[in-house]
Amino acid sequence: MKYKDYYAALGVERTATADQIKAAYRKLARKYHPDVSKEKDAEEKFKEVAEAYETLKDPEKRAAYDQLGSHRPGDEFRPPPDWQQSFGNAQFSFDDLDLADLFANLAGRSGRGGQRGANAPFPGQDFEAAVRLSFEQAYGGTEIEFDMAVSEPDENGFLRRVPRKVKVRIPKGVTDGQKLRVPGKGGKGINGGRDGDLYLDIGVESHPLYRADGLDLYMELPLAPWEAVLGATVELPTPAGRISLKVPAGTQAGRKLRLAGRGLARPDGTAGHLYAVAQIVVPTVVDERQRALYGQLQDASTFNPRAHLT
Amino acid sequence: MVRFELASAFMLDDTGAISVSELVEQSGLSEAELRVLVDCGALAPRDLRAAAWTFSSQCIVTARTARRLRDDFALDDAHVVAIVLRLHERIDALEHELRRLSGGHGALR
Repeated sequence: MKYKDYYAALGVERTATADQIKAAYRKLARKYHPDVSKEKDAEEKFKEVAEAYETLKDPEKRAAYDQLGSHRPGDEFRPPPDWQQSFGNAQFSFDDLDLADLFANLAGRSGRGGQRGANAPFPGQDFEAAVRLSFEQAYGGTEIEFDMAVSEPDENGFLRRVPRKVKVRIPKGVTDGQKLRVPGKGGKGINGGRDGDLYLDIGVESHPLYRADGLDLYMELPLAPWEAVLGATVELPTPAGRISLKVPAGTQAGRKLRLAGRGLARPDGTAGHLYAVAQIVVPTVVDERQRALYGQLQDASTFNPRAHLT
Repeated sequence: MVRFELASAFMLDDTGAISVSELVEQSGLSEAELRVLVDCGALAPRDLRAAAWTFSSQCIVTARTARRLRDDFALDDAHVVAIVLRLHERIDALEHELRRLSGGHGALR
């Protein structure tokens, strides 16, 4: 196990009071928290600072940490021989554990926010993961696999880092930014405490044709000028297959034509709509006859699209 | 040894009926902290006047975010947590709107 100097991470002396430790942490949290920081490597720095504070803010964890002795950061080390007996019943295989794992497991024995017996049930750790899906995966649902490494007791009761592969069924109709919960797939509970959960933060890749807004989808509907004026029946792709859409005569640019129920659909039956947003597209190359016809139209029409500007 | 498991993921959205005790368990907040979030309007039970509040599953996300902000910034006062949470949500909504406006349909060009 590699040693980390938590006091140095917070910039405090080993004799710092609880208030001094808290003040130091708050200052560093404001500086490095990813939600507010523009510092380079803010996320990594915040993680170091938060890990240090998580241990030093708890009197029992701090005492256990102090009993590990002082070592050079990054050096491999082993706790003193009687350390395990002094701080809980767990047996640790120090080779596989990270320092943070050691104190996270101590929380199960000392209790959170109060006095607990060494055998009191304690819930397992929740895990969070970011998941990136293609539009098609989000639309139709999918299965994804995670590789996780969690610390839990083996058959001999020794705490070890155990690799776990979790396969998760993602329901159809998830949207960008949606959160999902996978019950019981976090860390193991201690002494019969409930297992933690796995929380997924969904990101959905953009699609070249469709833009999602909640369950609704939007797509561009390019129309030739005569189609917009005279109306037309046009063929469109949708996520569920091609359809024919009747474009009313006199369709202006920006008009949204709604295809009900053809947006994202959820397993419970709720579905959004697909909106085809009209765009008037003019040909850039016209032959002589077409140019002449456009000229006749120009002469025959009194339509002034800029009347409101005069 | 690698263990292989298959599990279903459940959407956290405006459906569901999560009890106060379940929300406490899922979020890591205390019941007193949850009540302060409700008082400040940061969390909304389905029926405020009900004897036993229930919440949509989306509230698990809100409550967990509140707990994360409380712990990340070492905030002692639940009222401060509620304010920070509302600001955080406002930033999220603005960033979402900015992404929507800066690309695709309905975008400013």
